[in-house]
Amino acid sequence: MKGWTGYILRVNLTDKTWKKESFTEEFAQKWVGGRGFAAKILFDELKPGIDPLGPENKLVVALGPIAGIPAPNTGKVVVAAKSPLTGFYGDGNLGSNVSSQLRKAGYDAMIIEGAADKPTYLNIEDDKVEFLDAAEMWGKGTYFSNEYIYKKHGKNSGVLNIGQAGENKVLFAVIRSLEGRAGGRPGIGAVMGSKMLKAIVVKGTKQIPQADPELMRKLGIEGLKKAHELDQASGWSKQSTDAVLAWCNEVNGLPVQNMRHTAHPEAWKLDGERLNDARIATYGCPSCTMHCGITIHDKEGRESELDYENIGMLGPNINVFDLKQVGSLNYLCDDYGLDTISAGAVLGFYGDAIERGATKGDFKFGDAEKGKTLLWDIATRTGEAGNLLADGALKAAKVYGKNSADYAMQVKGLEMAAYNCKSIPGQALAFGVAAIGGHHREAWIITFELKHSKRESYGPEKAAKVIELQRIRGGLFEMLVACRFPWVEVGYELENYPKFFNAATGLDWTLDNFWTAADRGYAMIKLHYLREFPAATRKDDYPPAVWFDKANADTEGPQKGVVLEHDKYDSLLQHYYDQRGYDHRGIPTMETLKKLGLEAEAAEAAKVASLS
Amino acid sequence: MKVTVKLIGPLIYEGGFSEKVLELAGPMTAGELSAFVRIDRKRPTIITRNGRAVGDDERINDGDRVVISHIYSGG
Repeated sequence: MKGWTGYILRVNLTDKTWKKESFTEEFAQKWVGGRGFAAKILFDELKPGIDPLGPENKLVVALGPIAGIPAPNTGKVVVAAKSPLTGFYGDGNLGSNVSSQLRKAGYDAMIIEGAADKPTYLNIEDDKVEFLDAAEMWGKGTYFSNEYIYKKHGKNSGVLNIGQAGENKVLFAVIRSLEGRAGGRPGIGAVMGSKMLKAIVVKGTKQIPQADPELMRKLGIEGLKKAHELDQASGWSKQSTDAVLAWCNEVNGLPVQNMRHTAHPEAWKLDGERLNDARIATYGCPSCTMHCGITIHDKEGRESELDYENIGMLGPNINVFDLKQVGSLNYLCDDYGLDTISAGAVLGFYGDAIERGATKGDFKFGDAEKGKTLLWDIATRTGEAGNLLADGALKAAKVYGKNSADYAMQVKGLEMAAYNCKSIPGQALAFGVAAIGGHHREAWIITFELKHSKRESYGPEKAAKVIELQRIRGGLFEMLVACRFPWVEVGYELENYPKFFNAATGLDWTLDNFWTAADRGYAMIKLHYLREFPAATRKDDYPPAVWFDKANADTEGPQKGVVLEHDKYDSLLQHYYDQRGYDHRGIPTMETLKKLGLEAEAAEAAKVASLS
Repeated sequence: MKVTVKLIGPLIYEGGFSEKVLELAGPMTAGELSAFVRIDRKRPTIITRNGRAVGDDERINDGDRVVISHIYSGG
């Protein structure tokens, strides 16, 4: 087997053992890597109904066959587990030197099982695994941990670590790597914390096996150059992802005040121009050609790395329009290891619940200082509000009652990213059917909706676009474990990725092979969902009720009075199911599962739930 | 005829301004206005007029707010 190392490292924290396990080429080609590996491994190894924060849950760190090889934006890693936030498979990706170091150590993935009896960190160096005392890092933030690890193990080490939020099992705790990088939105950091695992450090010295190293090197270097040139020519990096803030504000898609409103006259204070003006540094992931992390001094003078999602959710979504204060909120999330999107959504939900009388509290929209206090309370589960909000917006809403779940801005328990879609049906669908809950990374179709379709359309073309992008973004890129930005933002051609894959593996894949693998990955995650929720219905693929509520419509501007229409959304959902080969519940049919080679997995799911 | 033109993202550096009110000598379409403010015609853009997406052939009227943006893809 070429391209893949052919090995997985299995580490048991309970008895401090580890072993190197091989996998077959058939497994490799069927699941490719990254999300594909993680979804299959967790389906096979986890029993449905287990406690996601118990020792029986497993943390998977997964890479792909071009991960860690110099080529456009291949310095990423997928982290996955059963999510404590959503109750089924959850994952995320983040930039990290773990990408190259774990592959050089001889592994394509790592499975971490059991739980340590005291704060521990793993030090992996090629074939050696050490279980080290993390007492000096426990209770500290991720910035401290990173520096601590760099001093002991060198700055080139691959590092994954958690902050106080992960330690305290906050259900939207993330895993952090380099400064500014985070992944695993559905509480994968909490899973790591539940195992008393503070950090993972990886160093490798071996060669990553490649079928044609000369060709891979040539293609990789050409690709890095080309992707960088495209970025420079387009000017994208000047404002990075935050340029979209001004646009969302112009087209009524900005999240304002827990997504009650879609635009705000002060939004310009947080836009890409202001961010670029405030820039003191720029950071990116390993092998990055278009660094997206624009760093500013926050209100307290610390370096805070910002992008659109964290500005959108910690800014307008809670009515904070001071960029330095948004920087402070973001810095604290990063240090504590809180997901910035969920943190902004949870604060927004809390402010809304207070205003609407579902609960009492002293947080008001726009109060950045109180927001900072609340983030600490959440990260440490301090006080009644902090402890409850640490469980995410939906779980908090279930406690508050009074229909507050209607404005908990999430899907399947995962808080949605910074796009207010009450008048943008296709993107509402993209949130509704995202594999792991309300995530934006798998399909984002707003410009398609406005430019190539009609905004108000609920037609099949929008379902088709969501599927097309899911295959590319949630499939190809998540399985190869490469960043989608060169393709999605500056037009680096998609056809390059099969070339990299083929040079590394010696295979002869086309994009069609990736689409099949992607569909298999999506079906696999759906089986995870069905196994955990045998009574699943199509209602689970609906966005929050408030987006359908006329009382929540814009009261002025071009989208005045417009909200999602229930029957039309349902028909759009049906278009998606029909095109995917899913049944009326949104579960792949037996015919679809057979076509994807998932008969064994279907039989396993059928033990606890029915299949059509 | 007066129109307000707002450029988004990298177009600000291409056009040399972020937002301004332009006095136009005569009628123009959205595409012509984009070229008038020196946005490369080969660059894919999305244009909105008063908050609604329009094609290049859409006629611009007095008092309109026109936003020209790089095509974003949601990160």
